[in-house]
Amino acid sequence: MVIRNLTKAYGDKVVVNNVSFEIPQGKVISLIGPNGAGKSTVLNMVTRLTPRDSGEIEFFGKDIKDWKSKELSKKLAILTQINHIQMKLTVKELVGFGRFPYSGSRLTEHDHKKVAEAIKYMELDEFEDRFIDQLSGGQRQRAYIAMVIAQDTDYVFLDEPTNNLDIYHASNMMQIARRLCDELGKTVVLVLHEINFASTYSDYIGAFKDGYLRIFGTVEEVMTQEVLKDLYNVDFEIMEINGKPISIHY
Amino acid sequence: MVAKRKNRISMLLLILCSIGLVFTYLTINVDPRFYDFAMMLRRPKMIGMILAAFCIGTASIAFQSVINNYIVTPCLLGMNSLYILTNTVVAFTLGTYHPMFMNANVSFITNVVIMSVAATIIYGFMFRVTNYNVLYVLLSGTVMATLFGSISSSLMRMIDPNEYLTLQANLIAGFNNVNSDIIVMAVAMIVATIVLFYRDIKLLDVITLGKNQAINLGVDYDKTISRILLAVAIFISIATALVGPISFLGLILANVARQMFLTFKHSYLMMGSFLVGVVILLFGQTLIEHVFNFSTVISVFINLFGGGYFLYLIVKNKGA
Repeated sequence: MVIRNLTKAYGDKVVVNNVSFEIPQGKVISLIGPNGAGKSTVLNMVTRLTPRDSGEIEFFGKDIKDWKSKELSKKLAILTQINHIQMKLTVKELVGFGRFPYSGSRLTEHDHKKVAEAIKYMELDEFEDRFIDQLSGGQRQRAYIAMVIAQDTDYVFLDEPTNNLDIYHASNMMQIARRLCDELGKTVVLVLHEINFASTYSDYIGAFKDGYLRIFGTVEEVMTQEVLKDLYNVDFEIMEINGKPISIHY
Repeated sequence: MVAKRKNRISMLLLILCSIGLVFTYLTINVDPRFYDFAMMLRRPKMIGMILAAFCIGTASIAFQSVINNYIVTPCLLGMNSLYILTNTVVAFTLGTYHPMFMNANVSFITNVVIMSVAATIIYGFMFRVTNYNVLYVLLSGTVMATLFGSISSSLMRMIDPNEYLTLQANLIAGFNNVNSDIIVMAVAMIVATIVLFYRDIKLLDVITLGKNQAINLGVDYDKTISRILLAVAIFISIATALVGPISFLGLILANVARQMFLTFKHSYLMMGSFLVGVVILLFGQTLIEHVFNFSTVISVFINLFGGGYFLYLIVKNKGA
């Protein structure tokens, strides 16, 4: 996926300014930056949730807007922060929605197999007949990830997946993101606030500030004192732990 | 799987209740010598009630799911006020001897056409102007309802007292105007609406996952919900023209159905809501005809119990 000169403004305020970068296939990519830097807006434009003002998003040789929405949903899945659902929906039924782009509401044998696989992969077997509103935050998050797995796309976009999760569930979530890439061969793009999650679990990092993409590169290239200081206006110390750069700030 | 079985049983019970009530309503206190005459009076009314239950029940479920709020009714779209306004304006300008009041068929057609055309124009326009923002559209709907209501009550103040009485009789919901021509027209319009909007209605299950998830799964969200709301407005128009302003009933039907059927599947919820409507309307009308001897009308019942039920829902949801 290649992004060129992407721009978006709300009124006079330019929230994404001339952003260009390429998303390498089969890797985990994290987008970081302070609040209001435009990283979520970029994610939303790339996944057609928000219309863009200008720029190109090339995906498998064609611009995103020239794709049929349904075809695109077989190639690319997006999970935004989960909104409260009042509906009586079981885990299995939710995961079944992942097959909607393929079969609509009528699931085939093949779809049921995919759903069962996704549920098993996320270790949700014992919850599969529970209603979504009876699950804890971490379990619900996993149920949604299972739906994304059932959707069987090459690209997975996750908007702040660790938000509202405690340390255990958050690191668990990051391991899942890593596994989606390593085991299932997906390209995973995350918007993250935790810099150390980004440095530990991803291959590439894109750093945003004030609507500009300041730097896009490997973890080592981005995780430097200068870059982080420029992004957050806070002094950082970078230590290497288990071969991964970890930032300390206080 | 327990839930699934419970849903099946509830559906079966509802169907049996409906059939039983249809039978009861048609045959209660019938003198066999005047059987045909009684049927002539009762059958159209009964079909009218079933059609009204279908329109209001399904439309309310769809409306609530699109807005993702279970204590709203399509009343918010302002169809009731529009109905009152149309009738008041006709009574004021043309008088109550106009065919609009004297001839039930003319009245039905005029009302449906005016309401659905107005709904299509107003809501189509509002969606484009607000860039498909449902909440703005509903807000403007509520404001318009107040506007229509104010115009109507100003006109009613100036109207001749006799004409006002005739008008008033038309504005209270009841099933006495229903005849076979109207039924044929209503059924034709309902079928046409379903055919026209079938693809959008089928997407309701996905729509309830929320905007982002629906788009993720390849649904053209904005277009779909605006089309669903149009279908809702047309259904409510048909029901209102058929029996008068009783769309408040929708609140009861949709919520009873949601309590009975623990599922997200709209095929179940809509069918359930429709059948609950049939049961409530037929039961209420039987009571009114045979216990209260026509001394009251069904909309009084509906508003009385509907109001109570509404308060109950608000209190119940306060903690959640």
